[in-house]
Amino acid sequence: MRVISIARLVVMIGFCGLVLWGLSADPAQAQASSSVRPPITDAAPTDGNVPGQAMGNRSDADLWRGINHGTVGKVTIPDKKSALMINRHGEDWRQLRMDNLVLWGGVLMGISLVGVLGFAIVYGKFKLHGPRTGRVIPRFSQAERWVHWFVACLFILLGLSGLVILFGRFLLKPIIGADALGAIANASLQAHNLLGPIFIVALAFMLVIFLKDNVFQKGDFVWALKGGFFSKHHPPSWKYNLGEKSWYWLLAFAGSGLALSGVFLIFPTLLDDVQGMQLSQIVHAVAAVVVIAASIGHIYLGIWGVEGALDSMTLGYVDETWGLEHHRWWAEQEITKEHVVEGAPDAVLAAKKAESA
Amino acid sequence: MTFLEIVEGPLWYLGASVFVIGAVWKIVGILLLGRKADLSIPRASASVGALKAQFLHFVPHGGFTFRTIYHLVAGYMFHIGLFVLMLFAAPHVTFAQNNILSIEWPSLPYWGFVVAAQFAFAGLILLWVRRISDPVMIKISDRDDHVGTWLTFLVMLTGCMALQEANEALRATHMLLVDLWLIYFPFSRLMHAVTFMFSRGYTGAFFGRRGIVP
Repeated sequence: MRVISIARLVVMIGFCGLVLWGLSADPAQAQASSSVRPPITDAAPTDGNVPGQAMGNRSDADLWRGINHGTVGKVTIPDKKSALMINRHGEDWRQLRMDNLVLWGGVLMGISLVGVLGFAIVYGKFKLHGPRTGRVIPRFSQAERWVHWFVACLFILLGLSGLVILFGRFLLKPIIGADALGAIANASLQAHNLLGPIFIVALAFMLVIFLKDNVFQKGDFVWALKGGFFSKHHPPSWKYNLGEKSWYWLLAFAGSGLALSGVFLIFPTLLDDVQGMQLSQIVHAVAAVVVIAASIGHIYLGIWGVEGALDSMTLGYVDETWGLEHHRWWAEQEITKEHVVEGAPDAVLAAKKAESA
Repeated sequence: MTFLEIVEGPLWYLGASVFVIGAVWKIVGILLLGRKADLSIPRASASVGALKAQFLHFVPHGGFTFRTIYHLVAGYMFHIGLFVLMLFAAPHVTFAQNNILSIEWPSLPYWGFVVAAQFAFAGLILLWVRRISDPVMIKISDRDDHVGTWLTFLVMLTGCMALQEANEALRATHMLLVDLWLIYFPFSRLMHAVTFMFSRGYTGAFFGRRGIVP
């Protein structure tokens, strides 16, 4: 019995020793000694390469990082675009759209509003200095007035609905809530998409009709150098001064950008990739904000800021005094050509006769 | 009862009743006014003249085509677009089946709706633009002309905004404006939609009796 007990004791001590040795042993050595584990090296993973070549030479983290940064893989299906799992440009575009565009677009609109308000406070309404003569000069033909107001109506509708789409989340949502904004934004988008194509056609007509007198010519910069709108007495100018011509060309270029990008947004299948869509939206929004900001000044001067300006675009003619005070070179030309007529009824007939001719 | 139920229920029936009764009242009133006896020697049938005028006046007489081309084109764009929308827009067809007639008729596809709406909008805006930029039209236009135009415009705009039927409030807004439009209709120049036939008939009969093509 005693021999058996001693033998048991020896076996137990031996077992415990083995266990303790095993616990204290270096795991790398343990792995190295195993026949089913990769050989142990002292090298640490570098640049995502795992030494040993047994588990692949790239780490999972590196693989996912690559996918997250837009690494393109390989696919055998016809749609090669599906080789790109995550489009990083989407996130860049989202940040540009939601942060920078809204911020700087809002700043530009604010500058325009404050600028026009300040201008109105400082300068007030530009009134005629001399008395009206009663003789009038035809200024805008019926076709010019029609196309102008048609574009203006559409511009206001598209501008308002576009501003809701662009700034609604930031300006309206805190006030009316997400549900109401969702309804209004959805409605705005419907109206925007419906009226947009009409605007494109109307804008093209307007740019063509107004092109002739908006080409820059000698003397335009004289108007600006003499103070332009900030001058107490209007410096002389042709039919349109430099400010008006600049507005025309801004509308021509930004409007073309608006129109083209708008077509791509309404018909996304015309573009083959998402980046084109993202670019279209950015171009559309930037052009819209610039044109709307500039239009605030145009609307102010046209409707309220300049006495007689609205009449020229509703009735089609201006008083001789107005012409000489605001667009002296043009008015003198018209007087020389004997286009000046006595009173409104003659002006209407003269305009109709000129259009029929 | 929700707001939508009110504007599609009691208020809709009120609007439709005012529209029908008001229109009939006005027409009967016009007819009862009568006219002076025509003492001219009849050279042709006044009735045929009245009938001819109904159709001939859809286009201007040759000499007036150029002068009227703007409101001719705009007028047709607006009226055709509006009637197509009113009769064949899918939500209108469904509404009419549920509330007015129980017969079925085909509705426009989405693209058809968009094209018709664009024609209608362009036409209406062009007509209003003429009203504010033609010296003669400015003089002869009054508040009723502008209210009628804007009310019609708002009905159309809210209808298009509710096109996706994503929100009840949009549909309710559209229906509220439709109800107001129906109530306003008999008391305004919107009545021309009905009275134009009598006007043409009177002119046609007058000239037809004298043997002149009206």
